[in-house]
Amino acid sequence: MSWTIPKLLPRSAPVILVILTLAAAVSFAAVSHLVARFTANQQARGRTLYAEGLTDAGAAHYNDAIAAFRAALTCDPTNSQYQLSLARALRDSNDPRLLDEAESYLLALWQRTPQDASINLALARVAAHRGSIEDATRYYHNAMYGVWNSDPDVNRSKARIELIQFLLKENAPAQAESELMALAPALPPDPAAHLRAAQLFAQAQDYSRALAEYREVLRLDPANLSALIGAGQAAYRSGDYATAQRYLQAAVNANPQDADSRQLLATADLIRRTNPFHSHIADAERNRRIIAAFAQAEERLTECAQQTGVDLKATTATPASPLSALQSRWTAAKPNLARLRSAAETDLPDALMDIVFQIEQQTASTCGQPQGLDLALLLISQKREAASQ
Amino acid sequence: MTNLQPPAPRFQIPRRLFSSLEGVFHEEVFFLILSVFIGIFSGLAVVCFRLAIDWMHLALLGPLPEAHGWRLFAVPALAGLVVAALVMQVFPSIRGSGVNQTKAALYIYNGIVPFRTAIGKFICSAIAIGSGQSLGPEDPSLQIGAGIASALGRWLEISREKLRLMAPVGAAAGLAAAFNAPISAVLFVIEEVIGRWSAGILGSVVLSAVSSVVIVRWFLGSEPLFRIPVTTFKRPSELLAYAVLGIVGGFASVAFAKSIGYLRPRLKALPRWTQYFQPAIAGLLVGLIAFMGAPQIMGAGYDSMDQAMHGQFAWKMLAILAVLKILATTLSFVSGAPGGMFAPTLFIGAMLGGAVGDIERIFFPHLPGSTGTYVLVGMGVLFAGFLRVPMTSVFMVLEVSGNYEIIVPVIVANTFSYLISRSLQPVPIFDLLTRQDGLILPSLEEDREETILRVEDAMLPVPAIILSGQDYVDANARRIQNSPDTIFLVRLHPGGWNTISRDQLQRLFQEGKGEHTLGSILPPQSVPSLYPDLPLDSALRYVNDYPLVPVVNRANFRQLEGVISRDSVFKQYGSRPAR
Repeated sequence: MSWTIPKLLPRSAPVILVILTLAAAVSFAAVSHLVARFTANQQARGRTLYAEGLTDAGAAHYNDAIAAFRAALTCDPTNSQYQLSLARALRDSNDPRLLDEAESYLLALWQRTPQDASINLALARVAAHRGSIEDATRYYHNAMYGVWNSDPDVNRSKARIELIQFLLKENAPAQAESELMALAPALPPDPAAHLRAAQLFAQAQDYSRALAEYREVLRLDPANLSALIGAGQAAYRSGDYATAQRYLQAAVNANPQDADSRQLLATADLIRRTNPFHSHIADAERNRRIIAAFAQAEERLTECAQQTGVDLKATTATPASPLSALQSRWTAAKPNLARLRSAAETDLPDALMDIVFQIEQQTASTCGQPQGLDLALLLISQKREAASQ
Repeated sequence: MTNLQPPAPRFQIPRRLFSSLEGVFHEEVFFLILSVFIGIFSGLAVVCFRLAIDWMHLALLGPLPEAHGWRLFAVPALAGLVVAALVMQVFPSIRGSGVNQTKAALYIYNGIVPFRTAIGKFICSAIAIGSGQSLGPEDPSLQIGAGIASALGRWLEISREKLRLMAPVGAAAGLAAAFNAPISAVLFVIEEVIGRWSAGILGSVVLSAVSSVVIVRWFLGSEPLFRIPVTTFKRPSELLAYAVLGIVGGFASVAFAKSIGYLRPRLKALPRWTQYFQPAIAGLLVGLIAFMGAPQIMGAGYDSMDQAMHGQFAWKMLAILAVLKILATTLSFVSGAPGGMFAPTLFIGAMLGGAVGDIERIFFPHLPGSTGTYVLVGMGVLFAGFLRVPMTSVFMVLEVSGNYEIIVPVIVANTFSYLISRSLQPVPIFDLLTRQDGLILPSLEEDREETILRVEDAMLPVPAIILSGQDYVDANARRIQNSPDTIFLVRLHPGGWNTISRDQLQRLFQEGKGEHTLGSILPPQSVPSLYPDLPLDSALRYVNDYPLVPVVNRANFRQLEGVISRDSVFKQYGSRPAR
């Protein structure tokens, strides 16, 4: 069988070039048509597989989703959406070996459209999986300032909240707080958004801003129980026990079964009733509270010594034992209680309460968190300490 | 190859048409323009070839091979029967990769690659690769390109000299399109197909390769074959790790080449009827390997290479895949199924590189190179060791990765691999296959091993007496009276050399021409001079015509370095051992 090309055409160079050009054009058109048809078929197949992948990913069947997305990509290798979905599935599969592949898909997409917020967010999540604060922060910021296809404001807030949660998880409260401060003014008048921000401020231990956000929630939705509880807790943590008492009381009234709030309310109430440094109490009341606190401290010290096996009455007590040293100080100061009524002893209340606070702090660290009046005294001491600092 | 044709008439430009373009379209220029068209047609053919493979793969195995267990071994076996029937009955000259056939076309068959071979290669390779035989599309693309170029050249009735060059020009176009890497394709064609450095064809090869790549990118996009991960090379001490990879790759290359070299002639020697079943049995075995848990080894395997590059396989899996791919490719290739070894070589190198890199990092956790870096270097290592194309191996990695930072690791690892392979497997795989087919073709490796004789090797010292063309004949005759020599070199003025024998000079003297200057009597045509660094072959054209040929300094052509004579040249050739 001989396969030869017919020699029908003249052998003139320009004519040959014209013929070759025409042949190339015709071949080009034919291949274009072929490629277009093949591509269309492949894309249709890819869409089916992609839909299967989305279903699997939605059901958290990530291995099946990955297989489906991979198959979809073999049908349509340049489809950005498929690549992005595959990268997300690879990332969410919790297989650390797949993170590299996810990242490489995302980086390839990012190089094409660095301003795409979805890709930046996905990259940020990969970095967050790796625990890389620097990379995650950069990509989250890119996502916040990037281009969103829909609901840009909501998505930006969500991205920032996600970043804040990541920073808090990675124990970076200062960075989280700065992100929160940027977030708060941009929040829409939505109780849920402000509630989330308040909770994040509380997690970042910025209780005053948390309280402000809870108040904003209550302004928008006065019956919001979570905000009442949160406001009470934020006020309590920041040492504003009067405010805490007010919000916690409202929370307990709204939900009497809330044992935690009830407990906090009781402590806040106790603090208010036992704090000798309260500004609106008479001297006699102040002295009574000091005497009660002094007695309570001795009880706590004795209990803690028994718990830890330290004999406070033994003369051979180890001088290095902090509990024994505090017991000595307490015993030496006890006679001074009688001089509390003297107007000349202006520093005495502070001196006595200083011993009480030291006993409460030391026993808390040795014997664990106290309860009742001891807890109230401990919290008062911490508030005083924070105020002096 | 029986489709030999008588010498084609030389291409001539008709003068009656387009006379104004006459000067433009001389054959050299036309050949360059033709190279672009070869690239375009080859690119279009390769686009169709890739679509055909993809379509076959989807139709036969589906988009998810894991999901269709029984197909994994049934499809390659049945497709093997079809391919074998086509090869035996319709396209008998399409067995194997196609690289050697293209080379044979250049050196033996006057550049003729039958168009039928190109068509057969297209159809059968698409079926074989699409059905999962462990073969790649690059070498068939190379032969398809060569077939198109050759057909075009024959249709245009270009000169035999140019027709011979059409095959490598088309081969470069086909390979560049398949690999999406024009530089590597050009280098491979020079290293393996042409087998010689030839400046005359370089322009055409480059033009065709570039134009075919443009066509492929137009239709299939400019996405690289792999998503290249971040590759790093920070400390020179890392080179030790890559050297180890080169050593392992060198031994793997030898094992791969020896297994093919051992099995192929033995299967070919079996009765002819068995060749109808060999591709089917190979397909069945490859399918069984896939069915038992390694579907990655089927076909070209680019997806798996991509996954290996991104650390998706543990080192044990990588090592297993490398070994299984050697086995599967050996089975597929020696069975006679048409398909190439480029992609399998890359696959084996990638898996081996990843495995070696991961193992090294277990023992030396501080090594900073990523798995992707080792995978890329591993690809080059196998290219250098198995295909024995050191230049291509380096540029292939650079072109595929687009990262010049890893050039040093690639060169180091490839050097080790190449040297080990060369010492343990003296005959490169393509030469071995050619010799098994009863042909001996030139290769660059052969050239590298050959000692080139130069003029300086045969050069005799500067003669004691050099006559001057400005002196009188009688003065020159007196100077040679006591010399034992019979031939003398004459320095002419203002430049040039000539020779005269003792008898000639004495005859001139006896004829009464003693008062004439020697230069005025000697014939005006001077003796050509040579330079010491020229190949000795270049002296052969003069030593028969001139008893002495002067060898002069390149910087000062009046400075004589020595002379050569016919005897001194032949003496050098005589002392050289026969190849």
